[in-house]
Amino acid sequence: MSNRMLTLMMGVVAFLILAVGVVFVVALAGGGGDDDNGSPASPSNNDDSPRSTGKGICSGKSLIVPGNDPNTVLDPIQVGDVSTSEYVVEIFGGLVTLDPELNVQPDIAQSWEVTNGGKTYTFKLRDDVVFHTGNTRRVTAEDVKYSIERAADPVNASPTVRAYLGNIVGVRDRFENKASNVSGVKVIDERTIQIDLIEPSDFFLSELTYPVAFVVDREQIESNPRNWTQKPNGTGPFRLAEFKPAERIRIVKNDRYHLGAPKLDEVIFELGGGSLLTRYENDEIHIGGFPASLLDSVKDGSNKLAKEYRAVPNMAVFYFTLNPQQPPFDDPKVRQAFAMTLDRETINSVLLYDAYRVADGFLPPDMPGYTESVHSYEYNVARAKQLLSESRYAGNMPRVVLTFSGSGAAPGDLLVAIQQGWQDALGVNIELQAIDTSAFLREQRRGTFQMHSDGWSADYPDPEDFLGKLFASDSTLNYTRYKNDEVDKLLLAARVETDRTKRYQMYAEAEQLIMDDAVVIPTFWPVDHVVVKPCVHGYPDVSMTVPKYRFVEIKAE
Amino acid sequence: MGPGLLGYTVRRLLWAVPVLFVISVVVFYMMRLAPGDPVDAILGQRYQEEQAALLRKKYGYDEPIHVQYIKYMQNLAKGDLGVSTRHQQFTVSEIIIPKIWVSTRLGAIALVISFTLGILAGIYAALARGTFLDPLTISFWLAIDAIPVFVAAPALMWLFALKLDLVGLGWRGFGSVNIILPIIVLSLPGTAGVARFVRASVLGVLQEDYVRTARAKGLQERTVVFTHIARNALLPLITVIGLSLPGVAGGSLIVEQLFGIPGIGREGFDAVLAPDFDVILALVLFGSFLFVIANILIDLLYAVIDPRIRLGAARG
Repeated sequence: MSNRMLTLMMGVVAFLILAVGVVFVVALAGGGGDDDNGSPASPSNNDDSPRSTGKGICSGKSLIVPGNDPNTVLDPIQVGDVSTSEYVVEIFGGLVTLDPELNVQPDIAQSWEVTNGGKTYTFKLRDDVVFHTGNTRRVTAEDVKYSIERAADPVNASPTVRAYLGNIVGVRDRFENKASNVSGVKVIDERTIQIDLIEPSDFFLSELTYPVAFVVDREQIESNPRNWTQKPNGTGPFRLAEFKPAERIRIVKNDRYHLGAPKLDEVIFELGGGSLLTRYENDEIHIGGFPASLLDSVKDGSNKLAKEYRAVPNMAVFYFTLNPQQPPFDDPKVRQAFAMTLDRETINSVLLYDAYRVADGFLPPDMPGYTESVHSYEYNVARAKQLLSESRYAGNMPRVVLTFSGSGAAPGDLLVAIQQGWQDALGVNIELQAIDTSAFLREQRRGTFQMHSDGWSADYPDPEDFLGKLFASDSTLNYTRYKNDEVDKLLLAARVETDRTKRYQMYAEAEQLIMDDAVVIPTFWPVDHVVVKPCVHGYPDVSMTVPKYRFVEIKAE
Repeated sequence: MGPGLLGYTVRRLLWAVPVLFVISVVVFYMMRLAPGDPVDAILGQRYQEEQAALLRKKYGYDEPIHVQYIKYMQNLAKGDLGVSTRHQQFTVSEIIIPKIWVSTRLGAIALVISFTLGILAGIYAALARGTFLDPLTISFWLAIDAIPVFVAAPALMWLFALKLDLVGLGWRGFGSVNIILPIIVLSLPGTAGVARFVRASVLGVLQEDYVRTARAKGLQERTVVFTHIARNALLPLITVIGLSLPGVAGGSLIVEQLFGIPGIGREGFDAVLAPDFDVILALVLFGSFLFVIANILIDLLYAVIDPRIRLGAARG
């Protein structure tokens, strides 16, 4: 009797265990069976079941996209990272803005006049720009002046004001606490503001599109200096409605937006991350990103995602920096030899599934002023070997260390392939060294690396942001202290030139000289890989962070 | 026993103070002395000396380390955990408390499931010793344990979300069915360890005289198994449960990443990489505190369950 009881109970337990187990095994067999690269994110079924039409998320006016947790507060003058500016550009606005084609367009300013040899900008403001709250308080020239002076106030420790607004007369003095206001910003009348520059600048308007120049609400900040960013009051096309860290940010449309109210009611940024492509396929988000390793399977014609795939260029460049102050790279011939033995085409097609664009120069093609006439060195092993044998280090090559920023994990395939390529072609030994990010940045500034993996992304669409910032010998960001007098002369002349065609010409010349000197070896211009639901219209493929959601519309077919 | 227990508890808790003090000093100095600080990370490639100096001043990194430490401790005493340099919109408490709570609840559910399954499977396997069911049960759970999370999770997502359309994948809180997959992934792999532990323990108890006596008395098999065997065999399990408690609150990096769960595992990982000083320190202190508490709890539970164990009230 008692034994029967026990057997029965054991049976029940066994059944439970098995039931769970069976479900699990079925799940595994199903998931692994028809999926050769082990990732269920590459869908292998072509059934057009109703679920996949995405009717659910295509019916409303609410756009759901993946987003990143902002690093900084939603205060325009504190923003230096892409993850925060994504939101700030939608919530706030400045005198001018960038459209999705990256042209400078009027925003709060209606028009402007450039006088005094390009050193004085006089902006005429629109009269219908209001702050979100109450939609009644109009933006005046005083608000613009307050916002710029607040950015320059050393108490606020803005990480970006010097770099973007440093050309305005008085900003540096204010930032260094040598003055109590910014003398170069003058209110002429309620609708007119004048800004004086230290030197003429054709890209000043581009700099003004950066968040640090955005207009903030003085009343709000002064009444709640500590926590106003919880509900920031801006003039942008959307206002912040909800912010739950690591969960979601929700912005809702500003009906009275002066450049035309958004067509969407709201945009929900899902901050949780997770398996984006799978969530996209499951109709939980409208736009999904995925890594290059899945590119092949997504673009495959039999995959229904292929039609929804888009390559979005990213205005950035990856490169290696060869430090001209450190042996063996103090000899230009060694640098050139390295530049000629990096087989970027093969690496991109074999290793990266053509995920990137091979960088034949430094400026990305999306950059105004880009020209195809600039070239970096072509792959040429014979010539490289010859250069190396003519170099000062022929036969006594010192140990070469290639440093990259990483958290101690093994270097990626890309770096290993490049390392191997150099070793095979040149017969030199190259060690890879990983350093964690903040220490990497610190050592990079000190210029202690021989050779390191590097990258730069655009702050504003102008060649000055790449060439002037990184290669002018007096730039604080030129960490390897690269100096070429001819390059310096061109960069300086281009910085103050106001004729745009001439400027771009000078930048192209400077860029070619920099390529010839091979202090950097550009590798790739990155591309983001995204899928967009067919019902999402007007989502621009823009290579920088610009206000874009007001152009988007959800229309079910 | 009452007053002895209380005194013991108080003494153990007092011992936690120097332990936490040493941990906090070590972690504080290690973070500060390592190359690179949050200001490097905030300014990134656009680093400029003047700006860095202003930021270091703002966060107090410009002061000697011992001064920073004392200030941190003063603020801690007031319940202020400092500021996060990665989520400047929020204080450290606003960031970590909700995340710890999410991870703890998830972990607790998973813990209950894996211990329930594990205990049942362990007892079953021990009683079925000598038959093929014993190795089958244990190997089955070991096989599940052997499946890496990053394989199991995508497979489950594919089946239950894309194929069967039963659940969604985004985080929708505890009320949503979306929670089922992460819980499966969190709980099933832990079952094997518990099952093996329980099996060994039950086999040990089966040899005991009192089991033979109980059977000889003609007690029902159910009573023998659940009162005499299980109760004694499960005693050592308390240590295992107790020691896994801090882990429960610690969250799981991979599961949180795959399912987009706003938990503390990811937060801690990202904080270390950033680095985000105050978040790291808060989490280390919290984790150490939990560990101390869990150990005290285990000792107390032993005393309650097994009267033979004395807590050394006189000697400490």
